[in-house]
Amino acid sequence: MQNIIAKKEFTQTLRDKRFWVMAILVWGLLLTASVVGFMNYRKIQAERSNASKSAADLWQNQKDKNPHSAAHYGSFAYRPKSPLSFVDFGTDSFTGMSVRLEAHKQNDAVFSVAQESSSLLRFGELTLAFVMQVLMPLLIIFLCFNAITQEKESKTLQILLSQGASMQQIVWGKIKGFSGVIACLVLPIILIVSVLLLISFDSSFSWTWLTRTGLLMLSYLAYLLVFVVLAVWVSAKATSSRVALLSLLVVWIFACIIIPKATVNVASNIFPVPTSFAFNKAIQDDEAKGIDGHDPEDERAKILEKQILAQYEVDSVSQLPVNFDAIQMQEGEKYTSMVYSKHFKDLQKTYNSQNKISEIVGLLNPFLAIRQVSMALSGSDYVTHANFQEQAEKYRFRLVELMNNYMRDHSKTGDWEFKVNKNVWSQLPAFQYTEPSFGSVLSRNWLSFLSLGFWVMLSFWAVSKIKFSL
Amino acid sequence: MLTAKNLTKKYGEQTALNALNLTIKEGEIFALLGQNGAGKTTTINLFLGFIEPTNGTVTINDISVVENALETKKYVAYIPETVMLYPNLTGIENLQFFSSLAGFKYSDEQLSDFLSKSGLQKNAHTQYLEGYSKGMRQKVGIAIALAKNAKALLLDEPTSGLDPKASNEFSEILRDLAKNGTAVLMATHDIFRAREVAHRIGIMKEGNLVSVVDAASISANELEKLYLQTV
Repeated sequence: MQNIIAKKEFTQTLRDKRFWVMAILVWGLLLTASVVGFMNYRKIQAERSNASKSAADLWQNQKDKNPHSAAHYGSFAYRPKSPLSFVDFGTDSFTGMSVRLEAHKQNDAVFSVAQESSSLLRFGELTLAFVMQVLMPLLIIFLCFNAITQEKESKTLQILLSQGASMQQIVWGKIKGFSGVIACLVLPIILIVSVLLLISFDSSFSWTWLTRTGLLMLSYLAYLLVFVVLAVWVSAKATSSRVALLSLLVVWIFACIIIPKATVNVASNIFPVPTSFAFNKAIQDDEAKGIDGHDPEDERAKILEKQILAQYEVDSVSQLPVNFDAIQMQEGEKYTSMVYSKHFKDLQKTYNSQNKISEIVGLLNPFLAIRQVSMALSGSDYVTHANFQEQAEKYRFRLVELMNNYMRDHSKTGDWEFKVNKNVWSQLPAFQYTEPSFGSVLSRNWLSFLSLGFWVMLSFWAVSKIKFSL
Repeated sequence: MLTAKNLTKKYGEQTALNALNLTIKEGEIFALLGQNGAGKTTTINLFLGFIEPTNGTVTINDISVVENALETKKYVAYIPETVMLYPNLTGIENLQFFSSLAGFKYSDEQLSDFLSKSGLQKNAHTQYLEGYSKGMRQKVGIAIALAKNAKALLLDEPTSGLDPKASNEFSEILRDLAKNGTAVLMATHDIFRAREVAHRIGIMKEGNLVSVVDAASISANELEKLYLQTV
């Protein structure tokens, strides 16, 4: 019975010219978004991997110099784009893509796409994620708003019932039919995304990313299903097609536009993030309380000197078998790095708290849930970016530490003429960013996945309660 | 076939139908006359199980509509006042859809036969319903009832808006169905048509079935007079 109704719904929709106009529009957008997004991704990815390679080359081929000069000379860390970021740009366009790595100083990631591009970005990017999250629900609403009201208005509902169909069979048949229509629209896109993903792997095929794509698409299907089921539910409850359409549009505006914006505003009011200036000022203030790596008259430097002299059982730094300047600089480095990590972690905590609000509101609004899931699975969320910054800082510390320790062990205090060559540079491997593991992505976003599941169940439950009434 | 005993429907204080007692036997056509709001459509909706009675019983083929709504649907066909059906399906597709809901699997030829029997011209069978006139849509509605082989037929103002010829054809088909044993209950405003086609005529007023007459024993003029006196 359900299938008979589903089939009729499917045939009727495919014969509807309005449906084709909408379908072609959405299809055009989906296709453009995926192809443009993919080309963009390829371009950026190529630029970054080239830049990354030349940064590594520059480090390896620098001329002979003092190790600490080399630490100042430093290097760059570039963040590679994730293979799925062409589906959902997430925060990628607004976060910097490279970090300058140098002694004594932790730099922010700079050069975001938003900084470099024209005003186009301000109007929002056309991504697959945007079409799937915002436009597809709108199409579903236009497709399903009169699912039941139309049958009521033309009295065919009464004939359906008099032929022995129950109200439940009718609504579920409708849901099946419309889901079929939406699946026909979306499945080709899933195919295209999969092919593009395989291309983006180049030589390094990854099951993880394939699984992530599968889960991403499944999440989108669940999200769209919620809209189909809810639209049919509203249509069954509404007194007329007009009322149904109006109610659904109000729901759409709230779910996809007003609540997301409001949530961001509320979250940033409750958990304010310091400005970049205030953040850096706080770090500077704290660093000033620590040891100065370059000032021998610094009080804490004097204490350190005493300790080291006692350790080596000598009277003055000139008698030390190691370079005290290097020890002092490394102590300074440790201190600034600790200060930075602390402030960075506090900042991340604030961002996490903001995100938690969004996730909790996501339980009420599946749009927020799918947005979070989509960004996280695409590897373009803020957490992934912060993870990159952390890894870059670790690498920077390793670079500086390597130089300082070499200087400590192989030269004497005050010997700034000491020079080293390639053999030392090559002890530092090139920077390689590793993405957070799939497992950590899942466990971090369980609330959003739960929300999607919850909404599917809730909408099914609501529909299961529909009864016919005149 | 169709029985109502002491059937009552109240909406709060308002009584839409008051203690209706009515039995329509196989092969009998019963016409209900009355003004809008007299309780005609309420009676039909009660037989269809769309609304629940406040009091009394309603049965089709001796099966209670209230207790066994789905079972009674097997024996009854319903044609509403305006048969809209689905504009972007053809006549055959509409018929196929509705009869497959009732559990019938007919070939296209059989479906076409039903449409022809209902008086729909052959070339319209494969056309979309959006191009049909009201009379043509009504015929598809009759074909749905025919294809279901229903023992009882419920009609809510079936001839309103039909031209005299279509209306006449409709009467012919009803008579044929009755001859084959179908019980028909039709609500109508068309006094002339009611006297023509029905065996018995009931006149309703404010939820009460006030008088029932044999169609054969009364002329159209007398019926009109009686109607005007009653309402």
